[in-house]
Amino acid sequence: MRKAIAAAVAAAGATAALLLIRRRRGHGRLRLRRGIAALRLAARGGARYASNAPRLFAAAGENRQQLRNDLALQTAEDIADTLGAMKGVLMKLGQMASYVDDGLSPAVRRTLSRLQDSVPPMSPELAAGVVTEELGQPPDRVFARWDPEPIAAASIGQVHRAMTHDGRAVAVKVQYPGIAESMAADLDNVSLLRRMLKVTAPSQDVDALVTELRDRVLEELDYRREAENQRLFAAYYAGHPTIGVPAIVGELSARRVVTSELSTGARFAELATWSQEERDLAGETIYRFVFRSLYEAHAFNGDPHPGNYLFHGEGRVTFLDYGLVKYFTDVELEPLIHMVRDLCVANDPEAFRRAMEEAGFLVRGAPLSTDLIVDHMAVFYQLVRESRPLTITPDYASAVVRRFFDLRSPVAAYVAIPRSYVILQRINLGLFALLGELNATANWRAIAEEIWPFVQAPASTPIGEAEAAWRAERAGASGTAMR
Amino acid sequence: MTAEAYAAAEGLVERSAAAYVAGVPEYPADDGYYGPASVTWRVAGDLGRSVAGLRALMLQALHPLAMAGVDQHSNWRSDPVGRLAATSGYLATISFGDRAAAQRAAARVRRVHEHITGTDTITGRPYAASDPALLLWVHATLVESGIVAAESFGTPLSAEDGDRYVAEMTAAAELVGIPPGLAPASLAGLRDYLASARPELRLTPAAAESMAYLLDPPGLDEDVAEIWADIRGGVLAVLPPWALEMYGYPPQSLTQARQTEIRQALGVFDAVFLGEPGVLEARQRITLRMRAARQA
Repeated sequence: MRKAIAAAVAAAGATAALLLIRRRRGHGRLRLRRGIAALRLAARGGARYASNAPRLFAAAGENRQQLRNDLALQTAEDIADTLGAMKGVLMKLGQMASYVDDGLSPAVRRTLSRLQDSVPPMSPELAAGVVTEELGQPPDRVFARWDPEPIAAASIGQVHRAMTHDGRAVAVKVQYPGIAESMAADLDNVSLLRRMLKVTAPSQDVDALVTELRDRVLEELDYRREAENQRLFAAYYAGHPTIGVPAIVGELSARRVVTSELSTGARFAELATWSQEERDLAGETIYRFVFRSLYEAHAFNGDPHPGNYLFHGEGRVTFLDYGLVKYFTDVELEPLIHMVRDLCVANDPEAFRRAMEEAGFLVRGAPLSTDLIVDHMAVFYQLVRESRPLTITPDYASAVVRRFFDLRSPVAAYVAIPRSYVILQRINLGLFALLGELNATANWRAIAEEIWPFVQAPASTPIGEAEAAWRAERAGASGTAMR
Repeated sequence: MTAEAYAAAEGLVERSAAAYVAGVPEYPADDGYYGPASVTWRVAGDLGRSVAGLRALMLQALHPLAMAGVDQHSNWRSDPVGRLAATSGYLATISFGDRAAAQRAAARVRRVHEHITGTDTITGRPYAASDPALLLWVHATLVESGIVAAESFGTPLSAEDGDRYVAEMTAAAELVGIPPGLAPASLAGLRDYLASARPELRLTPAAAESMAYLLDPPGLDEDVAEIWADIRGGVLAVLPPWALEMYGYPPQSLTQARQTEIRQALGVFDAVFLGEPGVLEARQRITLRMRAARQA
């Protein structure tokens, strides 16, 4: 278990490891190992958090709800006790780690992903207080109907059902009061975090990583940003045949409250019980969503967490949670496009290597043969190197992660992830884990060719045809970045 | 004095956690000697409690007779982790257990103390672990350390709550065999007593060795050791200057940034502790009872 969790440590950890190796190659091996040990600590604290709480509630039997109510966070002090002094930050890191898998059983991974469940909900009064402060009136006035019982835990908050005065069913995410300030303060003092990465200053790379982590987590603390992200995605995918994005109700959203259209559908665990055909279609839509957003909208929703999807059958998927979105500039995106084009389409390994070097993924002039580099990187591109149906198995997903964490490879010492792509890596690993759990099969190359801006192939599947029709209808939308 | 080497500190977190869990009852017959509305329960759950415990041990060790008793009789050298775990288990039972459990635990400790007598080789003075004067030193340093650590790293107590805590803790003093009326019942009384005991104190080789071990226990998990280094920093930062001087440490200053960092480390340590089997449930049992008391 411990080893497994060690490996499950955030993509952040992996990235840190790679950065460290690059700088400290030779004498830095020990430091690297200790860096991983320290991050493992974060995951360990988080992981066991998660495995304990459900047992307590399960043991309570029919008193479960009562127990949850009795344990509810009633005051800002309760929240500080539960999530203050780094615990909120650890939980967030653990959450980031929760879908990165190196031989983790699905059960353990689910346990990790339930991390948030270990934090009791806010009492109805506490949640109502936050709504009142943010929206000016208590929730039963702001909304026509307000369900004081939360329906789900959310990132540093919880979700309530409500009905607006104009009759729309909505989901209202309410943030724990004080949590943003406490996590921001913990993240402001990054020396512990930096030492957990076990690096002595000055190291530009680690500073960049710590800064990126801090910035991304801080962004998630402001729900207005999330609302803006979601609004952009909803506008972009309006009318899409299989991709759904709940609309934001802007006038009922603020820094600690975000209101969106209520979506219902099957959860990821339920999808896993559906036919393989349904799972394949859902996998296809998730894949299209991720890469359409990246290549065409230049935006990446950074949270491929099983809890962030609702499934409606026939490949229709609603994508929830836009707390962690990364926008790319053309300049940032270009090297990625070059890499995939040079390796998979042009089949030009030397050009691929140059693209990696230009993007900062690979140290220039590394004393390695290009064959070796291509061999090392191939696993990340395996899905799209050949045009034929491929099944993403859990084994394959694990192999991708293992390669990512493979510090013994001679290539690893020369590979790094520039700061702009930290989140991208996180998503890639999470995406593979997710599709692996579905055992999803598709001709991923053919789908990718539809999306790749340098190919723009015709539709290869029924969903692709519906998508092509949608695109044809959206005049002027194609190739337009979200911002 | 034996020259036996100290055993490694493997399993410190695991065994302390298990002892703590065992001390927090699932079905208490009563609220024990303090109860969920007490200051004692708050201090026992305070973020600063690891610093408090280690600070108390460092002060206690400066009493040569108290130190000699531990060094010559207990399993401190052969199983220091077991000894620390047993102590934290005892404190959990006294604090959170019902009266019967607290009495049983205290009776066990008093029985053990009866057999601990001898002569300190350094001062040449005879000692007995059941001597109220020694017990009082141990008691008073623990109580004061709880207040001091909460002040710097946890939730500071108001002056009234500080007095209440000292008064509440006289129950623990009596349980362990200190005659009623002897343990200070106010913060001022506690501080007077601590000052009056200063002439008794000195750093014996046994104390120096013990505390060097405690501040940097070999064999800790690497990741726990990383956090332990910050906790050690916290302990030194809140030791009285005279105690630092006796141990040969330079005066410490605690910047706000360092204070925050130590608090964060304590939070991480707490999360690790919380991850041990049963700890979260034990915490929740305590939380539920404190909530009920708050609402009553």
